[in-house]
Amino acid sequence: MTVDEMVGKPEWRSILESLPVIKRFFEGDPDSHGINALMRGMSIYLEKLVDNLERENPAVWYNLGFNSELIYALDGGAAALPIEALGVMHNLLGDIKISMDFIDTAQAEGVPSDCCSADKLAIGTLHRGLYPKPACTVGINTPCDSQVMATQVMAEMSDAPFFVVDVPYYHNDETVRQVAAQLEELIPFLEENTGRRIDFDRLREVCELSNKMTENIWEWLEWRKNTPLAQSSKLVAFTLILQILFAGTQEGVDITEGLKREALERTERGERFFEERVRAVWYQDPVWTDMQMYDWFEHELGLTVPIDVFGYYANEGLIDTSTRETMIYGLARKIANCHPMARQFRSNIDVYIRDFMHMLESWNADCCIFAGHIACKHAWGGIGLFKEACRRADVPLLVFEFDMFDPRITSYDDVYFEVDRFVNEIVYPRKLRAGKAG
Amino acid sequence: MVDDVINEVNAKIRSYTNEHVTEWKNSGRPVIGYFCHYMPAELILAAGALPLRLRGAGSEDSSAGDAFMSGRVCTYVRHVMSLAVEGDYDFLDGEICLNTCDHVRRAADLFVKKTNIPFHGFISLPRNPRESLYGNLLKELRNLRVALQDHFGVEITDDRLREAIIALNRNRRLLTEINNMRKEDKPKLSGAESLSVHIASQVLPPDVFAGIAERLIKELKDRPGLDSPRGRLVMLGAELDEPDYVAVIESQGALVVADLLCFGQRSVLDPIDENTDDPLDAIGRAYFFRPSCARMIGDFPARWDNLNRIVSDARADGVIFTRLLFCDPWGAEQHNLLHRAKKGNTFPVLTLTKEYGIVPTGQLRTRVQAFLEKIEIARAKRDAVGGAV
Ligand code: SF4
Ligand code: SF4
Repeated sequence: MTVDEMVGKPEWRSILESLPVIKRFFEGDPDSHGINALMRGMSIYLEKLVDNLERENPAVWYNLGFNSELIYALDGGAAALPIEALGVMHNLLGDIKISMDFIDTAQAEGVPSDCCSADKLAIGTLHRGLYPKPACTVGINTPCDSQVMATQVMAEMSDAPFFVVDVPYYHNDETVRQVAAQLEELIPFLEENTGRRIDFDRLREVCELSNKMTENIWEWLEWRKNTPLAQSSKLVAFTLILQILFAGTQEGVDITEGLKREALERTERGERFFEERVRAVWYQDPVWTDMQMYDWFEHELGLTVPIDVFGYYANEGLIDTSTRETMIYGLARKIANCHPMARQFRSNIDVYIRDFMHMLESWNADCCIFAGHIACKHAWGGIGLFKEACRRADVPLLVFEFDMFDPRITSYDDVYFEVDRFVNEIVYPRKLRAGKAG
Repeated sequence: MVDDVINEVNAKIRSYTNEHVTEWKNSGRPVIGYFCHYMPAELILAAGALPLRLRGAGSEDSSAGDAFMSGRVCTYVRHVMSLAVEGDYDFLDGEICLNTCDHVRRAADLFVKKTNIPFHGFISLPRNPRESLYGNLLKELRNLRVALQDHFGVEITDDRLREAIIALNRNRRLLTEINNMRKEDKPKLSGAESLSVHIASQVLPPDVFAGIAERLIKELKDRPGLDSPRGRLVMLGAELDEPDYVAVIESQGALVVADLLCFGQRSVLDPIDENTDDPLDAIGRAYFFRPSCARMIGDFPARWDNLNRIVSDARADGVIFTRLLFCDPWGAEQHNLLHRAKKGNTFPVLTLTKEYGIVPTGQLRTRVQAFLEKIEIARAKRDAVGGAV
């Protein structure tokens, strides 16, 4: 695909045209360092993609359980393309009708309607030929069966060499070692198929940038523990996107600096335009189709979301950059133990529940909102045990069904209704009774 | 009479357990349930236990499973887990799950937390059947061997493993002989009958099954072949253990002459080396590198080739693909299968989505009829072109 061909496609043009406008819009609020940095980061990502196309650099496709560092360490450059990227961008920045079209395309091509819309977005874009042909593809089995589906279709549609990273079931060091061994296999695969070499000095720089981003995320999330929450709820979900798209880049560092700085400044100023009445851990998928919904929760209900499962980045150590082996091990640990969703969703239910309890306590939340993305079967499959755990811990829990990328499944009104009722009839009165409300 | 043997088999598979399981238990030997045909049954047998493939047959509603797993999980797993959380599977002395899929993974959680079954085993099965990942599986099998030994107080010696290989190989050979008879111009048994027999092989003690299979083969030899006036089909898909469903398909004038169903022909491995020095390794390799199922990533091209071989070997006119609602691994397979079939203009494919335990006769008949008409029209066109030439 040439740059002209790419820009000629309405699905890309719409993003390339809307992003500068949105960027300017947010720049109107100079205090919004986080969102401004994110918009700048997105622009740079797109510029780099165009640049890679112009230079005819190889592209590597992968799915959302994978981190981008190794691809960024290929000397001479390569385009890192998570296959969900364009669909998600349309949800966040572009035209949601286009992302719904991707979903419909995938279904028309045989993807069952009960599968995850994240994958349908990706598969729709593949069927429309929206990405440059890859030199090779990397598929990882995390976080879920749905990703297994996406990778199988990616392999089929790409017609390019395919490497599978298999993250075992267990949450232990043996798992990390097994993933590291596979990354050692992946390196020659990437080198052979892209015609580029992994430059280990470059990998060290990439890992250092990745570490800096991680440290920023940790610090940023610390600021979000403050009560009341000073920074907008909706920003928290971006950790996952950061890891997939920006891990190992200066943009990743800049975005997280922005998020951290914004949280810090707002907390120190203590200004908020609403009263925080209730804090929730949003324990499942964000409402990507309408991130403004979180603003409504704040302003109308006094509900804040200091942390969610996409936003949480487990504090399990940084990549040790001293040797090639320690770097590979560190990258494997990120993939298996830290990557949002992949950490919580691939193993047994105890890991899932333990992380929730940790978030609840550390971010000082009053309740849990289980926003049940309909296709997230491992989450639904554990719902009974999760409810029991919440009951034992005496945590109010709201469970509802929706689709994180497809508003046709549950209307916004229904989501508002559920959350409104939960906050006003259950959680807030309970806080009042316990003398914990403001 | 063949019908007598099939009726006997059907009586034994009607429920999630049967009288032979009870007898086995009454003789003081343990029974271990397992979900997936990637679980090496030899390891269970070598521990002196009966391997029993978990089924939801006989479960009338899945509400107990739904309460824990919601209505978004595949109905096969929900029915099995309804039985399990209600205590119906409490006769099991152990269960072993794999990370087959997200649904079975969550079933594993429930087995541990919500049943009285005393032994819980688990195998993390790599998602890609390549040599460099095989060592990870072998480690799992070694760990399981130790766990079974410790819990059941038996030594799983190599000799015991070899005996288990021999016992199950015998049944594999018998099933292969039966499956070969399905491929004849006039198949000796229907797809529904064949599915019953394959299910029985996974829920009966091996020697009991072997006795039945030998009798069946003898009877089949004298049976005149069956007609399939409207076409020969291959069925492909996941956990379908309801012969009635296949019978409805066949009632429209076609025969299922081969299948790649989890409870059917896919469960039959090639015989494993009986004289090997390292039987656990031989078992591990045989299971891991078998023709894969949809949960294995990166292996669709091999599955496609295998399907093509089976279709051509069985001289089939079309493929019926069945998927259980909410199943993602088979969702990808559906997409890829349709994609290849369309691209290569190969055999006709009918995709069906079903729920476990329900045979929607009216709707199923209509769809199969339409599919068979399509096959007939294509055949007529082919014949016309052939005639012109
Ligand atoms: S939302 Fe759930 S089903 Fe979808 S990719 Fe994430 S873990 Fe998988
Ligand atoms: S049918 Fe699919 S979802 Fe159900 S147990 Fe099998 S692989 Fe899992």
